[in-house]
Amino acid sequence: MSGAEDTDLPGGWDASAAEYVLGLLEGDERAAFEQRLAHDRDLRQDVEAWEDYFCSFTDAIEPVDAPPQVLRRAELELFGRDRNPFWSSLLPYLLGAVAAAAIAWMAMFSGLIGRSDAPHLWADLDTPSRGIELLAHYSPDSGTFMVRWDAGDYPEGRSLEVWMIADADAAPVSIGLVDRGGGLTEIPVSGNLAEQLYGGAAVAISEEAEGGSPSGAPEGPVLSLGSMAPREGQ
Amino acid sequence: MIDPRAEIEDLIARVAMGDRAAFRALYERTSAKLFGICLRVLDDRAMAEEALQDVFCKIWARAGQYRVNGFSPMTWLITLARNAAVDRRRKRDAQERRKAAPIEAADLLADPAPGPAQQMQARSEAGLLHGCIAELPPERAEMVRRAYLEGASYAELSDATGVKLNTVRTWLRRSLMQLRECLSR
Repeated sequence: MSGAEDTDLPGGWDASAAEYVLGLLEGDERAAFEQRLAHDRDLRQDVEAWEDYFCSFTDAIEPVDAPPQVLRRAELELFGRDRNPFWSSLLPYLLGAVAAAAIAWMAMFSGLIGRSDAPHLWADLDTPSRGIELLAHYSPDSGTFMVRWDAGDYPEGRSLEVWMIADADAAPVSIGLVDRGGGLTEIPVSGNLAEQLYGGAAVAISEEAEGGSPSGAPEGPVLSLGSMAPREGQ
Repeated sequence: MIDPRAEIEDLIARVAMGDRAAFRALYERTSAKLFGICLRVLDDRAMAEEALQDVFCKIWARAGQYRVNGFSPMTWLITLARNAAVDRRRKRDAQERRKAAPIEAADLLADPAPGPAQQMQARSEAGLLHGCIAELPPERAEMVRRAYLEGASYAELSDATGVKLNTVRTWLRRSLMQLRECLSR
């Protein structure tokens, strides 16, 4: 293979580095250049210097806001596989509705996690079609996530699983199973998970195989969805 | 105040570790500039959106290869964006058999006294490269600019100038060496 530097063209490897950055090297010349670039640190530096110089051509280019769907598509392309389709259909509605409220108190309470004056968080997780009424509650004093069974029957041979979804693009994380037999389920949670609850995460209840979803991702129908928020007077 | 350069370097480092929130923050911080560049190269909104998507997928995949090398992290991002946009433009131009507009020295010399707008632009672009580019004969400066911003090949530059390919290449390499010499002054 022969590069421009073996011919009578002026400039040697340094001019080739500039040509390479401009995309002017083709075929064998490009391959020969890249082969050398792989182990020649000085040449690498030349290439980086030319990249930096030529970037100045973009100085005068005004920024233009990119439409939000570009980020969505990139995230879908990159992270799409571990998303669960039925969550994505429900979440925009929920997260859109609570976003403003969440941001307002997030700003107030960020930094309070783990302190005694952090607020308790609550969410109603009702499923009217089945007559199930649940109240989710996070207590910062004990670091416990609680589910209180208020009404309805626990489905036979199935388990109800609680999930946290940090944002519309995050995969749901299992918090734990709701105990059969009514009463109060208490689940200790990590500080990291608690932090996301304070960040406006959604919580959901799904019906899974007995003992919980075997895959670690929700598989059964979603019964209810809510967002954890402080309540006045509580 | 946080140094914007350190902030972007930090975001790239976090993206390299698979931090999706950092990825989103980096997008919010840099996508407008990179989209402007894609639009400038492609002059087509739909294609520029595709190119930008491609750029951010590459950023996610290659963030681990980014190294702090003394240059701005924006150089790394802009180079990725420019290359992605130029690749698309070349494919499109080849498919549509688009011809490059001619480059004639006379056109470029037509207005030797820059108007106020141009002077303003020259000041805002007061980078090293602009001063050195201005020292080149105008048609050669235009060739370098077209290669970078429009992805013009030697064959296209030869067409646009009506000068034989080998001669164009000799000129351009000499001009690049002249640039190099000026930039290292």
